[in-house]
Amino acid sequence: MLKLTRRKFGTVALASTAAAVVGAMTLSPAVAADKINVGILSLASHSPSIIAEERGYYAEQGLEVEFVSFQAAQPMAVAIASGDVDFGLTAISGGLISLADKGVIKVVGGALQEYDDIEGQKVIVSKKAHDEGVKTPADLKGRTFGITTTGSSFHYMAHKIADKEGFDRAEIKLKPLQKVPAVIAALKSGQIDAWSIQPNIADNLTSGPDVVEIGSISDYIPNYQVTTVFTSTANATDKQDLVKRFLAALSKGIADYNAAFVDKTMSEEDTAELVKAIHKYLYTDQPLEKADPQIRAGAMRFNENARMNVASIEDQLEWFKSEGLVPEGVTMDKLVDTSFVETF
Amino acid sequence: MSHDLAHGGSPIQRPIDAANARPVPFRGGGFRHRKLGIVSPIVFAVIIALWELGSRSGIISDIALPAPSAALAAFMDLVHTGMLWKHLGASLYRLVLGWTLGSLLGVAFGLAIGLFSLARAGLLPLVSALFPIPKIALLPLFIIWFGIGEGSKVATILFGTFFPTVIATYGGVDNVDRNLIRMGQSFGLSWLSIVRKIIIPGALPAILSGFRISASIAIVLLVAAEMIGAEFGIGSYILMAGSLFALDQLIAGVAILSVMGLIISWAIGRAERYFLNWRT
Repeated sequence: MLKLTRRKFGTVALASTAAAVVGAMTLSPAVAADKINVGILSLASHSPSIIAEERGYYAEQGLEVEFVSFQAAQPMAVAIASGDVDFGLTAISGGLISLADKGVIKVVGGALQEYDDIEGQKVIVSKKAHDEGVKTPADLKGRTFGITTTGSSFHYMAHKIADKEGFDRAEIKLKPLQKVPAVIAALKSGQIDAWSIQPNIADNLTSGPDVVEIGSISDYIPNYQVTTVFTSTANATDKQDLVKRFLAALSKGIADYNAAFVDKTMSEEDTAELVKAIHKYLYTDQPLEKADPQIRAGAMRFNENARMNVASIEDQLEWFKSEGLVPEGVTMDKLVDTSFVETF
Repeated sequence: MSHDLAHGGSPIQRPIDAANARPVPFRGGGFRHRKLGIVSPIVFAVIIALWELGSRSGIISDIALPAPSAALAAFMDLVHTGMLWKHLGASLYRLVLGWTLGSLLGVAFGLAIGLFSLARAGLLPLVSALFPIPKIALLPLFIIWFGIGEGSKVATILFGTFFPTVIATYGGVDNVDRNLIRMGQSFGLSWLSIVRKIIIPGALPAILSGFRISASIAIVLLVAAEMIGAEFGIGSYILMAGSLFALDQLIAGVAILSVMGLIISWAIGRAERYFLNWRT
């Protein structure tokens, strides 16, 4: 028998009023805000997530997002595996596949992709190598190529160039230098001959006297799915609703990003506002006027609605297996969960 | 006076009770290390057995830590493919060259700082200023200065071992018993003789324990040194395993480093016994 004392009644009444007020304030009253951690790197390729937060798309989906900054993709993948971070955007690396093989993380969506009509990743060489006759990627035979780590996207791109140009993969001498700044230092000083990188960094380098552009990656890896959205297997199986809401919010951020920086269909006013929002997280050590062109420059297209190019991911997986960088037994099913987004 | 007292007989003469005489136990000894060679293998074996057991039973998940047997399998892969010798050869070359040069320079600078006031005034602040700089932070600069070949790798280890050796050496020189030096002087030994026969042997215990530290630092820095464009080497093997999240290979690589540390520690122990036998 439920006895309703006056004090209890007061508490219940107060609570329901409070709930009603909170419900009226948020757009989706049925869902209490879920707290999620999203891993980001300080790169322009993480802007859509920042836009989704700053424009309130995450809040619309009832998500309370906390950004966790990482220096590299690898620790981010490990943090997602351990459950400290819920979602991340990064290139498919050997580490990511190994973790997927152990059944702890899954790729659930596509992000950055190479398109024929958009300027994509570029192959660049040092001035010294250019003077010695490296004028096209075909001349990279017998040359040194900078990569961050074994099994990184740079490693994949170098081998894809060798495959297409018809020389042995071992003919490109890979130099693992761990970090992007180290690769830049080595390239500028002519210690390595070549590198491939996203257009905003490539343009920055080729504007100086030490580095020359000789080709683009989309000639070698058409429709290359450069980065993907991934989450823990636990999220993908037990919290499918959460993953869907995250992807829906991210998709709106992606749409804004493409409109503002790739298609340039957004009004200058709104674009400037986006740049300002992104600047809260990127190039924070520089004033807005200096950061502005760097945020806008060399934007590559993100897949609408986080569509995923499964064929490209499969090609990458096959390459990892062919180099013996990941266990033989990894399958696409272990790596990718295609139930959340449209695939092609 | 005191002699008188002692010999004049104490006022109380105790009768000697032979039957009840308690033997005085020997209270010296202790504080001395015995050799218990069997203990350390047992400690290692127990830890590894517990670890294997934990992994097999699933208490330790293979994402947190791979089983020792998995690491051993990765190690055997290295042996079978012959890559072990390639990796070891490349790393040992860098270690031996970097550590030897760093130690020689370190001892030379340390002696100079210990012996000459001018060197001390000029170099000691420099050493103090440069020692705490993390060499890894200078990696991009090292690439420009020494290239991505062997130069930057040897330089990283050289710089890493140089500073601890300098500090150990001049500390050792400072701690040489002044009385011994005074004695040498009063016997009319030349300056060079004093340095050669008193100061250097006297500083040697400190220098050798400095070597112990600098050799370990050299192994630690091997991973950092091989971050820069190394195709082979134990450090680059560990980095590759880390970036591929191949934990069995990672543990195998780390175990190789730790065995290298054990061997070096043993070798320096032998050197201490040989050079410091005057100490007994």
